[in-house]
Amino acid sequence: MPAFMKRIARRTRALLRRDTVNRDLDDEVRLHLELEAEDLARTRRLTPDEARRQALIAFGGVERYKEAHRDARGVRWMDELSGDLRYALRALRRTPVFSLSAMLVLALGIGSGTAVFTAVDAVLVSRLPYPRDDRLVRIYEQNSPTNLFGTSAVDFLAIESQQRSFFAVGAARPSIAAVSVGGEPRRTAVGYATAGFFRALGVSVALGRNVEATDNRWGAPAIAVVTHAFATQNLGGDTTALGRTIHVGGAAYTVVGVMPRGVAGLTGLSAGVWPALQLAPPSRRGPFNLRIIARLTDDATPASAARDLAAISARIFPIWRSSLQDSELRLTPYPLRRVMLGDAPRTLGVLAAAVGLVLLIAVANVASLMLVRAAGRWREVSLRATLGATRGRIARLLVTESVALALAGGLAGIAVGALGLHVLVAIGPHVPRLEEARLDARAVAFALAVALLAGVVVGAYPVLHLLRGRVATLQEGERTVGGTRRATALRAAFVVAEFALALPLLAAAGLLLNSFLRLQRVDPGFDPSHVLTVSVALPTARYRSDTALATYWTRALAEVRRIPGVAGAGLGSAMPPDDPSVDENNFNLIDHPVAPGAAQPVVPWPVVSTDYFLALGVPLLDGRLFGPQDTAGAPPVVLVSRSWARHYFPDGTAVGRTLISGGCTSCPPTTVVGVVGDVKYAGLGGTADAAYDPMTQGWPTVVDLFVHTNGPPSALLARVRAALRAVEPDVALDDAAPMEDQLHAAVAQPRHITTLILALAVAALLLAAIGIFGLLSYTVSARRREIGVRVALGAPHGMVIGLIVRRGMTHAVVGAAMGLAVAVAATRGMAGALFQVSPTDPLTLGAVTALLLCVALVASWLPARRAAAIDPVEAMRSE
Amino acid sequence: MADRADLLQGTLDLLILKTLVLAPLHGWGISKRLRQLSDDVLEVGQGSLYPALYRLEDKGWIRAEWGTSPEGRRAKFYTLTAHGKRQFAAERSQWRLFSAAVEHILGAT
Repeated sequence: MPAFMKRIARRTRALLRRDTVNRDLDDEVRLHLELEAEDLARTRRLTPDEARRQALIAFGGVERYKEAHRDARGVRWMDELSGDLRYALRALRRTPVFSLSAMLVLALGIGSGTAVFTAVDAVLVSRLPYPRDDRLVRIYEQNSPTNLFGTSAVDFLAIESQQRSFFAVGAARPSIAAVSVGGEPRRTAVGYATAGFFRALGVSVALGRNVEATDNRWGAPAIAVVTHAFATQNLGGDTTALGRTIHVGGAAYTVVGVMPRGVAGLTGLSAGVWPALQLAPPSRRGPFNLRIIARLTDDATPASAARDLAAISARIFPIWRSSLQDSELRLTPYPLRRVMLGDAPRTLGVLAAAVGLVLLIAVANVASLMLVRAAGRWREVSLRATLGATRGRIARLLVTESVALALAGGLAGIAVGALGLHVLVAIGPHVPRLEEARLDARAVAFALAVALLAGVVVGAYPVLHLLRGRVATLQEGERTVGGTRRATALRAAFVVAEFALALPLLAAAGLLLNSFLRLQRVDPGFDPSHVLTVSVALPTARYRSDTALATYWTRALAEVRRIPGVAGAGLGSAMPPDDPSVDENNFNLIDHPVAPGAAQPVVPWPVVSTDYFLALGVPLLDGRLFGPQDTAGAPPVVLVSRSWARHYFPDGTAVGRTLISGGCTSCPPTTVVGVVGDVKYAGLGGTADAAYDPMTQGWPTVVDLFVHTNGPPSALLARVRAALRAVEPDVALDDAAPMEDQLHAAVAQPRHITTLILALAVAALLLAAIGIFGLLSYTVSARRREIGVRVALGAPHGMVIGLIVRRGMTHAVVGAAMGLAVAVAATRGMAGALFQVSPTDPLTLGAVTALLLCVALVASWLPARRAAAIDPVEAMRSE
Repeated sequence: MADRADLLQGTLDLLILKTLVLAPLHGWGISKRLRQLSDDVLEVGQGSLYPALYRLEDKGWIRAEWGTSPEGRRAKFYTLTAHGKRQFAAERSQWRLFSAAVEHILGAT
């Protein structure tokens, strides 16, 4: 409807160009009056002045008419609102220190809240990038409530042929391989996957074709699909990628498909290359290196799928009993969302609680500031009321002011939030998909909603006071009204609340800091200085046999050792101190076997060369290291860590004891030949139990080289790489770094969390201090005369100071006591995030309480000193 | 003021439209014309004239343009739009129906 549109356009224009419209109006009225006056002068022969007067009378009130005109335009409320807003801004500008500090406090609170809201929104609330992600499960092998591990080819083939719960089921084998597209090979993450893996996820190629079931047959032509990013970076674009040959682990694969742009990985596996997985007919139950993903049918539930899988587990167990005796082992489905989130909910929960507390403290702080401000403004408000402004009108004026303040804080908070999100993504907790978090419209809406709410809350009390009819008469003046018992009690309550809120946050920060310091003092078990590490992937196609691998490594290690400055070099399949993909293995002691069918212990189980211990400086404590006699055909041997030996043989030596490794009852028993120092593989806070297999009895294809250097390790980086390349040009090298970096990275996560919470706690502490400082400063100025009288009557300075400080400390102690009760209840939830520190550690809780009270003391003492300095004569005269 | 009559609610719009049928006028011109046409019986309070003009403009029945008055002054001239003309015709027949009915009732004995 064009007329309707035109009307809207006209009204909008009138609103936007209010000045022009008003000027037009003035011109029109003036012209009317002039013409009328001239007409009157002519027809009634009046003097010009008299004619103008008559014209004005005939016209009626010019201002009233303008008002009526504005009403007709329907812009009156807008005019009033903008008037209120202008008034509010003017009032706020008159007290820049108050306005800026209140805005800043709110901006910090809202900003940090917005950053964490965005993170929570991206990580916890948003869905996985797969259609109907609630129907997806990942299937694990599980033999105790806490011990989950991957699945094997036997498991997958059985599930694929027998299951009745899934619409589609697929497997992927994550791997790190030497990938080459013609040039120098690169060590790259790859995911060998079956057709069902993509089908279950609902991910299809954008170009070319998908992996089909026929591609997964043993011996079928080798094909792969690649991500869009891999195609553009390595194959010159997605269209040219199709049909190209790439070498993965030395074997040739034809690229048949390119995944849609934006798919960087699947199920958290960020691999660029996805070759079709071809499973050889299995000869034993393990190894458990597959990741099975399945999509539930519409009728199935996770529970019914679990029953289905348990039945399959029971059917395959007797068939493969010779290579696996654990009858407790069950194939168990877990919702993929839960799997991918890991412990992100707990980490983000701690963060959200922390910023929530800071936000509350900020609001309490500003609300208390607003009360002081309202006290100072009572005279003006009373004047307005006396002059006839309605209560509603005054209430609107005050609320507009606090909301304007809060919205300004909210806008600044969005900027703070954008910055905070950067910080969070850069140094924040390692939670999946956090990097996808964007400060979007929802985050902005969140910030503004919080700001609006905060504005109403902080402005509420003065308005409520007003609406209850407590508008003071002018005679009462500001002193009585601003300092009413109620308002002062409320301000005190705000300060108590600030302390009660700050303490749990301080407690959490203290506990995390304590835990972090302990973690840093943990002995990783090796000397990180002078150690260089290089991750190495050989083209597996040409290094299938152990002899080929042994030949390469004998020659390569010899080359490396020839480099001047190299003191020793060894190989290991795991990277201490925190290797998420460290090999683990189960074992059963022949002297102390677990009950038949019960779960066997599982420990980190790296495969290493003898020189590994020398290169890392790990001492031999008992028995012997691996030697040339430990060949593939010789009786199997292991080394164990000191912690392992103490754990399983607390009373005697572990050397010479025998065990069944990996549940292989048909294999000859393995003998413990030596005990070495503890080395951490599952994080500094993790277990130090470990066992080692000799490389000479089974070579891994992906190994890390550890080089002990005489000088700074990084100086030898290039020469070590060159030495490895000299023997095999197609070797893929990566992650070359001094060992100290590894150690640093291992504590990066707890350090970042601790830093974040610590920063928030410091903010809370400062806000609480400002709160108490503000309250006491106000008290001092309100009781100036009384204090003056006391001083005049001879009260010593100490007594005056004590008077004020006691008042402040009463609030602080009450608040801290309440906060302590909350902290003791709340920090229990942090138990899992703490290392060697009890969540109710009395020392930490005591220390943070003392810190809080000390800060309160300083914040109380400053205004108290000012009180003591009051000149009685001055104080009396000023009244 | 027995010789003056107040305007019936809603009739002002119709009268303004009528004054504009002949030619565009400015605000004062309209009030003058109304006085003339009603032989000084109808006095339009200026306080209601201009809001009414705005309302009509808002409805799109008249259009306002700045121009020069016969007296040589800058003035805002109001012109009837096509929509306004149709509206005038409709309102006029409506009014005639209404006033005839009122007259009929009052004339009954």
